Amino acid sequence: MNRINKKLQEDGKLLSIYFTAGYPNLDDTVKIIGELEKHGVDMIEIGLPFSDPLADGPTIQESSTAALKNGMTTEILFEQLKDIRKTISIPLIIMGYFNPVLQYGVEAFCKKCMEIGIDGLILPDLPFDVYQEEYESIFKKYGLLNTFLITPQTSDERIFQIDGASEGFIYMVSSASTTGAKQGFGAEQQDYFKRIASLHLKNPQIVGFGISNSETFVQATEKAKGAIIGSAFIKHLTQNGVDSIANFIKSIRC
Amino acid sequence: MKLKVCGMKYNPGEVAALQPDYLGFIFWEKSPRSFDGEIPKLPPGIKKVGVFVNASLDEVVAKIKEYHLQAVQLHGSESPEFCKELKQYNFQEPIQIIKVFSIKDDFNFDELKPYESVCDYYLFDTKGKLPGGNGYTFDWKVLKGYPSIKPYFLSGGIGLEEIESLREFMKRPEAKYCHTIDVNSRFELEPGLKNIQKLKEFKKGLMKDEINMPSSLGERPVRGPYHANEKGYYGEFGGAFIPEMLYPNTEELRQNYVRIMEEPSFKQEFDQLLKDYVGRPTPLYFADRLSEKYGAKIYLKREDLCHTGAHKVNNTIGQILMAKKLGKNRIIAETGAGQHGVATATVCALMGIECVVYMGKIDIARQAPNVARMKMLGAEVRPALSGSRTLKDATNEAIRDWINNPVDTHYIIGSVVGPHPYPDMVARFQSVISEEIKWQLKEKEGRENPDYVVACVGGGSNAAGAYYHYLDNGDVGIIAVEAAGKGIDSGESAATSALGKVGIIHGSKTLLMQTQDGQITEPYSISAGLDYPGVGPMHAHLFRSGRGEFISITDDEAMTAGLEVAKLEGIIPAIETSHAFAIFDHKKFKKDDIVVINLSGRGDKDLDTYIDYFGL
Repeated sequence: MNRINKKLQEDGKLLSIYFTAGYPNLDDTVKIIGELEKHGVDMIEIGLPFSDPLADGPTIQESSTAALKNGMTTEILFEQLKDIRKTISIPLIIMGYFNPVLQYGVEAFCKKCMEIGIDGLILPDLPFDVYQEEYESIFKKYGLLNTFLITPQTSDERIFQIDGASEGFIYMVSSASTTGAKQGFGAEQQDYFKRIASLHLKNPQIVGFGISNSETFVQATEKAKGAIIGSAFIKHLTQNGVDSIANFIKSIRC
Repeated sequence: MKLKVCGMKYNPGEVAALQPDYLGFIFWEKSPRSFDGEIPKLPPGIKKVGVFVNASLDEVVAKIKEYHLQAVQLHGSESPEFCKELKQYNFQEPIQIIKVFSIKDDFNFDELKPYESVCDYYLFDTKGKLPGGNGYTFDWKVLKGYPSIKPYFLSGGIGLEEIESLREFMKRPEAKYCHTIDVNSRFELEPGLKNIQKLKEFKKGLMKDEINMPSSLGERPVRGPYHANEKGYYGEFGGAFIPEMLYPNTEELRQNYVRIMEEPSFKQEFDQLLKDYVGRPTPLYFADRLSEKYGAKIYLKREDLCHTGAHKVNNTIGQILMAKKLGKNRIIAETGAGQHGVATATVCALMGIECVVYMGKIDIARQAPNVARMKMLGAEVRPALSGSRTLKDATNEAIRDWINNPVDTHYIIGSVVGPHPYPDMVARFQSVISEEIKWQLKEKEGRENPDYVVACVGGGSNAAGAYYHYLDNGDVGIIAVEAAGKGIDSGESAATSALGKVGIIHGSKTLLMQTQDGQITEPYSISAGLDYPGVGPMHAHLFRSGRGEFISITDDEAMTAGLEVAKLEGIIPAIETSHAFAIFDHKKFKKDDIVVINLSGRGDKDLDTYIDYFGL
């Protein structure tokens, strides 16, 4: 069974962390992953930086630009990760935009992911229908789970469609926004969380966007299986460096 | 839909005053409508069709010459060889050949095959005692089996009573290639004497709603292989590669844009604004001195005379009306040099709608006058601070704004780029350019089709508009001119077709300039309107399929050509457009070739660049 599915069966709420590979320094990738696992994070999204990340707010944009300036490439990331499974056992997901994957070659990319021990991909700008028509068979061949996003604007009909095509979890975008744009959840988000819970989907949901501290983590996971923190973690790295990751995780899971 | 009135004899002048597209003159002595008088001078835009039944080649040729016919309609058993000979006959102007086939209850469409390459149109008439003029219709359902993509004329006993059934017919797939409705005997007081009142009514009925759209949005174009399909693909290019956050926004637009554009009230408002506010139609100007210098008949389509100084406003007018129909009360846009930003701010002022324009911080610094114009027009200009802080980043920022404001905001994209349905929607709004070229050229040269249409391509909206109605017409050469910057191999270029690879940019699969690793790179051109790292999916397809010829022009060549046009024609073109004028060293034309260059914008905005470059 895929590590993601196993993890989702565990009791308790899951904390997933996103970071941009190659930031703050080109060679921080393995160290960041190690620290995150060591301090109890359940799942990691490794961000493959892209020059034009149009679903991301300023924090992730800046970390992506810096990572690319540091020299990060798909090839280098794979090289950095080649021995990652010797030390790391939690699920690892690569999250990025579709164009770098397309240039690497979708099949070559998936094959490499399997060899390394990557469990899944999140490619927000690879649309659901194109995935199903052109790429699903390749992802499956290499044992990769693909995760789709839903938002407060996604219709129930489309949510059921996405649920039907998913085999891991659903990435539930908390509000109509780019990453890192909102702070705290209002009544609107609470209603949305309740609405999704009432649909009784077959895949568990993990909430992303707008989670920055223990309060928002608790709110987001009241109904959902877990939550993803990205921008707030990157801000912490910028301000405090790679050595203080423990403090950040503790502040969430207090 | 076009209208042909046939059987002119006693009152062709009166009929011509109704402005049908074709007038038919029957040259067959046995017909009660046989014509032998003098054709009065007709208003421009009306084609004279000579109708023959098994006449000899000499007879037909003589009549064409005598009456300056533009088309012949062959009603007898003329062979494909006959058509071919006529087609190849060396007339002053090319002659269009309409071959007639008569239908009763069914029809063997295999009969068309030998004529496929030797005539321009088919005409389907009712089979009766006479070769035409029998006065009753055939069952149009037979046309379900129509296997060709050649446009055809629908004829045979059509009268006022048929308006309703015609309207029904037009909705059916077999009507896709129906080009013209041909009427005759049912609109007569006596053979050859037309009932003007009835014709007027028919034309009005024919024009009403779906059945006919002689609007700037184009008469139902025959949407062939070079147009977007349902999912927004041009060949392998296009589609909508967008994050889920944008799905509801683009989906709302996708589901509604065609319907709204086809609403009569929408068309009417769009046409009215293009006429009264933008100043359309823009002239098609014969550039005498340029023609003499380069040995071709060069026409300039004067989009530079549009309000705000470029073609961009055609699209912003269309999209602001679209936004209103969709109930949006806030507009966002991206801009590079500021031209699209100004065109958007202009229509927002016109409609009293809030407007936010994203512009790269670097562009804000180098395009100060346009920033000031947008502010005067009441728009807020927000700097894009991310990435390279130019056009592509301004586009990213606008998309991010749209993600954050999905309900009340419409995003007016300035070119034929972005996720479906934008490339198709923008192309349709810009298609007014080629729509006008067609009838203007017909007035001036007696033919709708130039030999070449030339346009500069950045994202490609002026080019898409200039090509639109010619895309599927192989007789018209399509030339796209890209900015080579300091040279294709210099590392400072914007020649996407030469340097780009297939990838995803701003939600569209197309050709784009990128690193081997899939990171989008920053293009360079002296003209701010051409330095976009991608190209619209329509153009990527035109390039890949070989339908379009792509030429790259350097900064130096463009600047020299711009100065030459100023001196030869008294027109200072935008530097974008100057690229299109620089093709004559790269492409040779024949003396009789009609070459239409889309003069997409005027050069006022570029004076500083011209001054610096030439030390004026």
